[in-house]
Amino acid sequence: MAVRLETDVLVIGGGIAGAFAAYRAREAGARVLLVDRSYFGRSGCSALASGVYPAYMPGDDKDAWMRAFGGPLVNQPLVAKSLPVMHEHVLLMDRWGVNWVKEGRKIVRMGAPGRSFANGVWMAEGGPQMMMAVRAGVVGSGVEVLNRVALTELLTSDGQLPTSGRVVGACGFHTRTGEIHEITAKATVVCTGPYKFPYPWPGSTLGYMPIDLSGDGIAMMMRAGAELSRLELGGINLNPDNALSAPGLESLMPSGAKWVDKDGRRFLEDYDPKRMEMTQRALLYFAIAHQKEKGQVPSMDLREVSPERMQLIRRVIPIVVNNQEAMVGDLTEKPVPYTFQVAGTSGIFGAGARVTERGETTVPGLYAAGTCTDMTYLPGGNLPFCSVTGDWTGRAVGAAVGSAERPQPPAEQVERVTAEILEPLQRRDGGEFEPVHRRLGELLMEKVGLVLHADRLDAALGELRDIREHEVSRLTAQNPHELAKVWGLAQYVQVLEATLRAYRHRTESRVAFIREDYPIIDNVNWIKMVVVKQENGALRLWDEPMPESWHDPHPVRPTQNLHLVFRNQEADRAAR
Amino acid sequence: MPLVEVNGNACTGCGVCVETCPTDVLRLDADQKAFMAYPADCQGCFVCQWDCAYGAVRVHINDPASTSDSP
Ligand SMILES: Cc1cc2nc3c(=O)[nH]c(=O)nc-3n(C[C@H](O)[C@H](O)[C@H](O)COP(=O)(O)OP(=O)(O)OC[C@H]3O[C@@H](n4cnc5c(N)ncnc54)[C@H](O)[C@@H]3O)c2cc1C
Ligand code: SF4
Ligand code: SF4
Repeated sequence: MAVRLETDVLVIGGGIAGAFAAYRAREAGARVLLVDRSYFGRSGCSALASGVYPAYMPGDDKDAWMRAFGGPLVNQPLVAKSLPVMHEHVLLMDRWGVNWVKEGRKIVRMGAPGRSFANGVWMAEGGPQMMMAVRAGVVGSGVEVLNRVALTELLTSDGQLPTSGRVVGACGFHTRTGEIHEITAKATVVCTGPYKFPYPWPGSTLGYMPIDLSGDGIAMMMRAGAELSRLELGGINLNPDNALSAPGLESLMPSGAKWVDKDGRRFLEDYDPKRMEMTQRALLYFAIAHQKEKGQVPSMDLREVSPERMQLIRRVIPIVVNNQEAMVGDLTEKPVPYTFQVAGTSGIFGAGARVTERGETTVPGLYAAGTCTDMTYLPGGNLPFCSVTGDWTGRAVGAAVGSAERPQPPAEQVERVTAEILEPLQRRDGGEFEPVHRRLGELLMEKVGLVLHADRLDAALGELRDIREHEVSRLTAQNPHELAKVWGLAQYVQVLEATLRAYRHRTESRVAFIREDYPIIDNVNWIKMVVVKQENGALRLWDEPMPESWHDPHPVRPTQNLHLVFRNQEADRAAR
Repeated sequence: MPLVEVNGNACTGCGVCVETCPTDVLRLDADQKAFMAYPADCQGCFVCQWDCAYGAVRVHINDPASTSDSP
């Protein structure tokens, strides 16, 4: 028997974006149902976050914020608009019981890499405490919550995907009982977080926790006909070698952590001698990846961090510290080796549905917020930009659903989707998850890798199509838990294909986006949106210019340089 | 591979860790003790250890029994 539910606003995903979207929609008077495939408050990136909520406070130099969070692809006027909202969120979360680090009753802020001023509000008990307090605030406002239901397909008024009508809800299954859930809503808000290679193995270059985010929402929105953008901008990330925890950079770098190679040399000398450890993130990612590829064992050295600061760090990033200590023992005695994560992820930057600042996608009835969107080109998936886009979307949705009708999906669509969802449980002659998962991971590490090239991307796309058509589509699941993994992989390969196509489409390099066949960093041609849309069963890609108003007040300096990786290669050759 | 060790004497079977584990690794066995039903899906996040009010859970990040290159 299927579970049928009706609501005004369906929020899919309970990270910080979904939490704020649900809260604001509820505040506007709507009935709100928040559905999470995991447990709201413990799920997604938000609950595992590394302890820092960068937030503007009244009296800050707005221009310093714009410079710190700017960049060629950032919508600066929207950043300015988001600043007071972050402050409001810090205070609201304080009332909900988030344990911010304080001096007396005053919330204090610390510095962070790549920024010239103290902007980070620290969580005294890390992300897990923050999200449980947020959960309490959201549930207290009357939002209904459904845990352990993975939604896998959007439902539409015309029963079609892509739709010419509107999105009217979503369908999925309970990850323990396998029960089908059919939810109809006046508005659907997708907040399913970034997409990553699901279930990466420790020690690989495939990423870190949360290990179950596979881009479900992005794939669903793509099938419904939504335009996607920013897919090509994910790229490299970092994590401690052999562990699945985050890098913890926001709190470790300003605390005096150093980056050293296997001989104890601070190798950032070679990359950004002026700012060293406080260099911008993308350059740091690149430097670590570069050192690691050269066999230099790049490691985080905490030996000079003061004991008092170390004590605070243990509370702010308990997951990171626990994982690091499990690897090397006492952190004050031994550096921790780090690894990088290759392509095939949106990391924390945000990539997915193109949205307006009200969270509208290009499909009626379908809204989205947080890291499964292009975040209307805010600087990326820091917690505040996710909570802000969630807030704006929730308000817009709350206002829109008031007198709206709740159209129903045609019964045939529900029937068809239900059968598709359950198929892997019924298949008798299909393949198992692990070999296919392994093949896909190896494809990413070996054929896509760190330095991209059109020929290798074409080969990878060919193999990916083969994996998708012949292996993923034939996977079997023994129980609902496995069904969730199978569905995650199926969603992931679709988003990955769109991403590899977007990588292929770009003809410039940037700091952490490295094209061997286009080695020039070209700020002029870089400034555009690459849009991807599924049409007639195929992907269509095109460029759109960025509105000039987005670069006001800080215009982009036109530069054309050879990317550092290729400059280094030339230098290496000359030295030989 | 991380390993979650449950102290059967301390576990009351309250089910909290089973409810909150982000990747849904844990279940209660016939004796109402928590155990890793899906050990391959543990991400070593320590949530179960923190959420257990009875101190019954310990997370080991590197389970010595598993090889490092196993998925
Ligand atoms: C380990 C880590 C540490 C970080 N540390 C920091 C930090 O210290 N400071 C900072 O500013 N940023 C940090 N970031 C980035 C920031 O945490 C994220 O960008 C942000 O939390 C994303 O929020 P979100 O709401 O978009 O997505 P998420 O928080 O990832 O939430 C997505 C939710 O959707 C649910 N979901 C997914 N698919 C489905 C489905 N099919 N059906 C139902 N539900 C589904 C998931 O279970 C999850 O709850 C960190 C990121 C990571 C991964
Ligand atoms: S939370 Fe602790 S006491 Fe409760 S079931 Fe889990 S291990 Fe047992
Ligand atoms: S460490 Fe995290 S993923 Fe592993 S069982 Fe505990 S809560 Fe679940």
